[in-house]
Amino acid sequence: MSPNVQKSAARTLPAAGILALAAALPFMAMAQKPVPANLTADLPAGPLQAKATTACLECHEARIILQQRLSKTAWTKEVDKMTKWGAVVDPADRDAIIDYLSSNFSPDKPAYDAQRTSPDKSGSGKSK
Amino acid sequence: MNSRRDFLKHISGAALVASAAPSILTWALPQGQSVPVPGEDGMILRSFRFVDLEAPVEYFNTWLTPVPHFFVRNHMHEPSELGAGDWRVTVGGEVEKPLTLSLAELSKIESHSVVNTLECAGNGRSLHRPQVPGIQWGKGAVGTARFSGPRLRDVLQRAGVKSTGNHVMFRGLDEVPGKVPPFIRSIPMEKALDADTLLATHMNGFPLTKHHGFPARALVPGWIGAASCKWLTEIKVLDAEFVGNFMSTGYRLPNQPVKPGDAVKPEDTHPVTALNVKSVIAGPSDGASLKTGKVAVHGAAWAGEADIAKVEVSTDGGATWSPAKLGHDQAQYAWRLWSYEWKPAKVGDYTLLSRATDSLGRTQPATAVWNPSGYLYNAVDQVKIHVS
Repeated sequence: MSPNVQKSAARTLPAAGILALAAALPFMAMAQKPVPANLTADLPAGPLQAKATTACLECHEARIILQQRLSKTAWTKEVDKMTKWGAVVDPADRDAIIDYLSSNFSPDKPAYDAQRTSPDKSGSGKSK
Repeated sequence: MNSRRDFLKHISGAALVASAAPSILTWALPQGQSVPVPGEDGMILRSFRFVDLEAPVEYFNTWLTPVPHFFVRNHMHEPSELGAGDWRVTVGGEVEKPLTLSLAELSKIESHSVVNTLECAGNGRSLHRPQVPGIQWGKGAVGTARFSGPRLRDVLQRAGVKSTGNHVMFRGLDEVPGKVPPFIRSIPMEKALDADTLLATHMNGFPLTKHHGFPARALVPGWIGAASCKWLTEIKVLDAEFVGNFMSTGYRLPNQPVKPGDAVKPEDTHPVTALNVKSVIAGPSDGASLKTGKVAVHGAAWAGEADIAKVEVSTDGGATWSPAKLGHDQAQYAWRLWSYEWKPAKVGDYTLLSRATDSLGRTQPATAVWNPSGYLYNAVDQVKIHVS
């Protein structure tokens, strides 16, 4: 487990979300067997991390972004499309969010290293 | 440290319950740690919320893909409430007698089975240069399964298609976040009435899992996966192609090849329908280090509505080609497994290539045709290995 990732987790857990979920935990724990942590990923650190998180991760998780390698022109189109589709982006932040995405996820960055899902032990649904 | 780990553990259980509802709660994931997704086995995780899973090509060694190894492509959140008892599909639009069918009623209609290779239109998108936006699939957004259920045409006949009915629209129960346009597409009537186009309720003999569209999905054989709408709730006969984002803007190809950066007018595009010809090397794996001796170069090849005529393998980077042996199992819309026995003459680095040709005379190109959304990547496949 990377220490950097741990730090990033501590920094970005939104406090209100934790409280809301913590209040519901006793009931949910009965309904759902606990599973290991870390189902979704984070956006990279930076001054725009929080605003990009609010804008983008309301509808989908960070991996959708982490795997892209796009030019600034392409990121501009994506941000404008997503804003049309309901992403909450203050017009004053648009250019900065585009810069944040296109500097972190440009074509020259190394390819994204995707994780794997855990082995399935149930064997359910398998066919010969 | 321990207490936070436990805390995160609990949170994630809660988040799983709430996963259908949009949430901005996120936390970092240590690289290398696998992510539990029930019913899925060692799949490449392109996205958890919403679920997009890719099969490693090493899995392409069985004619039928086990469901836990079958790629998952979701555009939206999966339906949060789905009960076999409550579920209904409506059939309306340009029909004489609109219908509402329950799963029990659907199961009374004669069932038909089709072994179909289902492939996401964007499979291989990450290999296009320059790169284009979208799920960055490698080679594994494809799988083959036996799909079963009533023929769509039998259901349409019950409703009585009017002479004005030219296209058939599918709407699923996926939950749309924000102001995202709903995932609705249509297929032409000719394909809808094809004897092999199904309202599939089963996959490899089991009821569909939720990831694959329980309780019923369209199955439009030989066509891109996006045609085969999951969690079907509405079938509507239209006089013209459906107008909406995923039909009029998405899943379209330029009529003529375009260069990156060129503006493409919508009227100069057409919907992506049937898959093209393609092969993938399942083994040896890219980067493998092998000992001298016999090597089975093997994989799968498919061609949408056409048949695979031959697969050729090159072990010298494309200078010479030899025919691969095609597997016994075959069906009209299904891939063929293939293999080629190779004995490397000497130690060294090798580039192995596979190239399929279909019954229409189409052959995989050296370079795939670039397009703005990265659809239908089908360049000759390649792995680099070392023999020592």
